Amino acid sequence: MGSRKRGKSRENRTEQVLILGVGNLLLGDEGVGVHVAQRMMEMDYPPEVKVLEGGTDGFGLMHVLLKANRVILIDAVKGGGPPGSIYRFEIEDCPPFPDIFKTSVHQISILEVINLSGLIGPTPRTTIIGVEPKCMKMGMELSAEVEAKIPKVIQLVQEEVALSLGRFRREQSVETPSPCRG
Amino acid sequence: MGKRIIIDPITRIEGHLKIEVEVENGKVKDAWSSGTMARGFEALLLGKDPRDASYVTSRFCGVCFSVHQMASVRALDAAFGARVPWGGTLLRNLVMGAEYVYDHLVHFYHLSALDYLDIMAIANYTGKDSELNKVKDKVVGLVQRGDTFPLTPRYEPDEFSVKDPDVVISAVKHYLDALKMQIKAKNMGVIFGGRAPHYQSIVVGGFTQLPDINQVTRFRSILDELATFVNEVYIPDVVAFGTGPLLPLAKAGIGGGHPNYISYGSFELNEAGTKLVFNPGAVFGLDGGASREPFDPNNITESVRYSWYKEDTPKHPYEGAQVFDLERSDAYSFVKAPRYKNVPMEVGPLARGFVDQDPTLLGLVKNYGVKPGAVARHAARAIETKKVVGAMYTWCDELLAAMTKPGFKIHDTDHWEPPVEAEGAGFFEPPRGALGHWIRIKDHKIANYQAVVPSTWNASPRDERGVRGQYEESLIGVPVADPENPINVVRVIRSFDPCLACAIHLIDPKTNAIRRFMVE
Repeated sequence: MGSRKRGKSRENRTEQVLILGVGNLLLGDEGVGVHVAQRMMEMDYPPEVKVLEGGTDGFGLMHVLLKANRVILIDAVKGGGPPGSIYRFEIEDCPPFPDIFKTSVHQISILEVINLSGLIGPTPRTTIIGVEPKCMKMGMELSAEVEAKIPKVIQLVQEEVALSLGRFRREQSVETPSPCRG
Repeated sequence: MGKRIIIDPITRIEGHLKIEVEVENGKVKDAWSSGTMARGFEALLLGKDPRDASYVTSRFCGVCFSVHQMASVRALDAAFGARVPWGGTLLRNLVMGAEYVYDHLVHFYHLSALDYLDIMAIANYTGKDSELNKVKDKVVGLVQRGDTFPLTPRYEPDEFSVKDPDVVISAVKHYLDALKMQIKAKNMGVIFGGRAPHYQSIVVGGFTQLPDINQVTRFRSILDELATFVNEVYIPDVVAFGTGPLLPLAKAGIGGGHPNYISYGSFELNEAGTKLVFNPGAVFGLDGGASREPFDPNNITESVRYSWYKEDTPKHPYEGAQVFDLERSDAYSFVKAPRYKNVPMEVGPLARGFVDQDPTLLGLVKNYGVKPGAVARHAARAIETKKVVGAMYTWCDELLAAMTKPGFKIHDTDHWEPPVEAEGAGFFEPPRGALGHWIRIKDHKIANYQAVVPSTWNASPRDERGVRGQYEESLIGVPVADPENPINVVRVIRSFDPCLACAIHLIDPKTNAIRRFMVE
């Protein structure tokens, strides 16, 4: 595969890793995903990697989801563990929720949006890195328990990114261009 | 006393909007709209640099981020004394215009249309159209796998549901097409906005990113595709449904409510700001004696008589505060009750249409006997999408003309530093309706901040005179043949494009949805 073809395939958005932090920044630990994304935005990445603050958007994120073939989603997750517990699971581990529309008059969740994007394009492989919240009251600060886990969460996300990039590059099996230029 | 039905659309661990109706003889006799989540995010702003307001407020709402950013920078523009250059206004309008197309398409096709369709009718499609047969195979395949999300009808179809296989299948095809179109609309806004959600380029004084010709060209080419879809698919769908199978609903005015409408006005079409896409104004009453008045923000007050706040008399937003009082005996909502001249008003596309006396909307009223209500709201939304698309062409032309002139500016850099003491109000008409932000600055910091959002107007509880808010009033008389299947209640509420159900995002991997649907 020559470099021209590789460039073309990038344009076809087949090798983008999206680090997507979601949640409400104004509701304490509910915003943990956004806090992680905002910190990760300050770091350097190869051009295939994109970091985005997804907030609480639903449909509005489809435009970025369909550009990625790998999504690492960071969010508050209520899994029943002690505050600050970190979870990692694939989107397939969550059941599809056919009743969701029946109860929500307006929005749908991020997991539903990812599933829904499968109706019009390839669904990105999605891993969720979740953190058990302690406090979801109004406020822009994280609880001490959750704050203490942020470095570990970032490390986990970076490991996922490295694995994904390794896979892309093996699949491309060509010389990798300098990561400094997009 | 009739039967109580509670529809509590809790999709996350905290609920945000609960509708309770009392049904007697197959009709809604009384209704209560309740915002069940403590809001009052404004308190987070106190003591902050005023320029942080647009950053924080764009995170107020789960869906409508950028409109808060827009109202916020307008309040700051006023308080700072900033004069936004025409180039900055044009760029802001183009980003917001893209938001309109995105929002209205998603609302109609993905959040509302399924309330009116009997999806399973697709299996009976016998036509030869290969595109439609692909859709049929897709849906039938989902049904066979037992995975009908997200196309499952949310409530049982009733006598108003469209069952003609040809109509249903083409509607579902358009649902899928609209999924692609909403992505295009988002991508279009990002061209100037920087990234979405939370556009970076809209700031006090104007806009941060200078446009180039290529960006305008790219914007226009996406706009062409969206214009085609709006004119050839969206509008015809709404007209075909509204004047066809849904005409009885439309003529009955199901979901009408108080005939009072307000628009703050938005979207300058000329540099002087004398021509707008949406004019400001207030309309009281429709039947013959409709009176229209200019909009005066001093007439806005917020009552907390039935809300969980410590406050007694209705107050202007500049004076408002949010100190919760959960002990108030007859309070039932965290939403305050905004009133204009002491009466409840509807905001949103239908309100804008009536304030503007839009000829297409009035034509539907005159020629088909359509009354204000759920169907009329969908029609008004489609009609104004077309208007905004048209305006975006004007803004592109204006932008191209302005860019080539010497001294082209997009930002008023002379008014970037916060004043010592000032106040300002920012008004905008987001897709969902009238939005106002009010800021008071003292010692260069935010001393008070209030936002009155569209859903606060529409979802408000009763006021101190006991008068219902618009959701509540619009539900009176709505037919509920089967209390287990209150589909008309949902149709009415959804027609407002409610926006309280979404400010939280937590994932619960076991259920992801806590649903309460009780009949007592």
